[in-house]
Amino acid sequence: MSVEAAVFILRLLAGLSLLGFLAVLFVIVWRSMRQVDRQLATTRMAYGYLTSLPSNAAQPNQVEKRFPLHAITTLGRSASNTIVVDNDFASAQHARIVLEGGQWWLEDRGSRNGTRLNDVAIDQPTILADSDVVGIGNLRYRFTLTSNMG
Amino acid sequence: MSPVESLLSRRHHYLLLAFAGLSVFAGMASISMARPSGFSHWAGLAIWAACAFVGTALLNRCLPACDPVLFPLAIFLSGWGLVAIQRLAPSFADRQALWLVISVGAMLFAALFPHLLRWLRVYRYVVLAGALLLLLATIVFGSNPSGFEFAPRLWLKIGAVYFQPSEFMKLVLVAFMASYLGEQSAAIRAERGDAGMRLPFSPRLAGPMLSMWLLSLVILVWQRDLGTAMLFFVVFLLLLYTTSGDWRILIGGLLLVIIAAAAAYHLFDVVKLRVDIWLNPWPESDGRAYQIVQSLMAFGAGGILGTGVGLGSPGYIPVVHSDFIFAALAEEWGLLGVIGVLSCFAVLTLRGLSIGLTHAGRDFHKLLAVGLTMMLVVQALMIMAGVLKLLPLTGVTLPFISYGGSSLLVCFVMIGLLLRLSAEAISTGHRGAL
Repeated sequence: MSVEAAVFILRLLAGLSLLGFLAVLFVIVWRSMRQVDRQLATTRMAYGYLTSLPSNAAQPNQVEKRFPLHAITTLGRSASNTIVVDNDFASAQHARIVLEGGQWWLEDRGSRNGTRLNDVAIDQPTILADSDVVGIGNLRYRFTLTSNMG
Repeated sequence: MSPVESLLSRRHHYLLLAFAGLSVFAGMASISMARPSGFSHWAGLAIWAACAFVGTALLNRCLPACDPVLFPLAIFLSGWGLVAIQRLAPSFADRQALWLVISVGAMLFAALFPHLLRWLRVYRYVVLAGALLLLLATIVFGSNPSGFEFAPRLWLKIGAVYFQPSEFMKLVLVAFMASYLGEQSAAIRAERGDAGMRLPFSPRLAGPMLSMWLLSLVILVWQRDLGTAMLFFVVFLLLLYTTSGDWRILIGGLLLVIIAAAAAYHLFDVVKLRVDIWLNPWPESDGRAYQIVQSLMAFGAGGILGTGVGLGSPGYIPVVHSDFIFAALAEEWGLLGVIGVLSCFAVLTLRGLSIGLTHAGRDFHKLLAVGLTMMLVVQALMIMAGVLKLLPLTGVTLPFISYGGSSLLVCFVMIGLLLRLSAEAISTGHRGAL
């Protein structure tokens, strides 16, 4: 094989491997972009809010109040909470709702009277589903998952 | 990231290294074909391969959460640079290979040593004072390895080794600015929130901006180092803009650059020369504009696919292995090679900035990631545009590729810090994302 042919083959090899390097680079970048896109999509899915429900038909005409949820939303009687629960049976630091791994988790914070999910007291962090009812003290809140909250 | 996806990305990672190795091997082999010259370049290739292997293995083992692209990118560019230096200035290649070993070692130290980030943040004044002393020492005792009497004296000679303090200054300044601005950022954003701001610039912003401008001017005046002065100021402006989100920073900075440039044009012959041959190199194409004209010729000679490694004649460009290495790549690899280098730096920007994004809320980490990335990329852009005569020529090195030990070392340490930052991203769920 002549030197010219060998040099030509090496040139070809060098050029192709450069292109190969760039192609793999772009595949990696493309994949991670898509992954971020998916992640953002699930995060957008995960917005939600609580709606206060009338307490035990005592005041049926009470206006429904809506509380948008933060990534960490705390509930309790103390004014430091995200959602202040104005009820004698609620503890100062009662419960919290946390967004983790694309799911909303309801957690009791050692309250005196416990936190109920669909009228059942919870003893460990529990995943919330759409239109679940969270009970704190005498008050109840409906949980709503929204998909397109910009 | 699911286990399957993580395995796939690991596989891509090795594929990337395999292509890099193949490309460097083919380059070295073409050189040995085109101009038979013993076996010294195979030693360079072996050293490069060992660095790539050890670096990848150690990063995988000790820092598995780090960005999978940055190290292959850096090692590929430096391998390419090694081939180019072997081709252009064989007598420098062994030394560059040796510096590569030191640099990869330093990168691994920066990436794996857990306290480095905190020390950079906490002891910023100590580090800055040290770097300023070095710079002062260069102004007093500086020398130039080429030995020309009027060449810029940017080097310090220790024993048989020359090194360039302004390269280390890049790292130190970015760390210092990230630390300082990270502390101030809450106040800066709060001031921006005030609707009725009385001053066009708050002192919190204008103070550091003006002092940075002065430092750049000092470098320019005492050292005649146009490139470094420009680089420091531009990167600093970008950092200030990242902190405050205020576009008036960019306008104000641009005005300061124009003032300094206009004054420098009239005061310093170096600057006047650079600007004159940028505007029109042809009247002096045999004289003072010889270098830039030959560089343009090299770009033209390269065409789309290049002349082939070892087959072009980039030797017509004086000192081609350092500042003008991009022109040599353009001649022998053609447009393909130019696009290759540009793509690598584009991906580096993307990864670096997204590392900054994953540190939302941790201002020092965010600013450090942005600053390191910008330092590397702005420098690359400045010299690539300078060689192409899109900007006045500023003598900075092309990161990873150019010949230059201090430059290679600092670039790899920056990559090491970026790797560390990527591994410390807040939410593990976003690891490797973006």
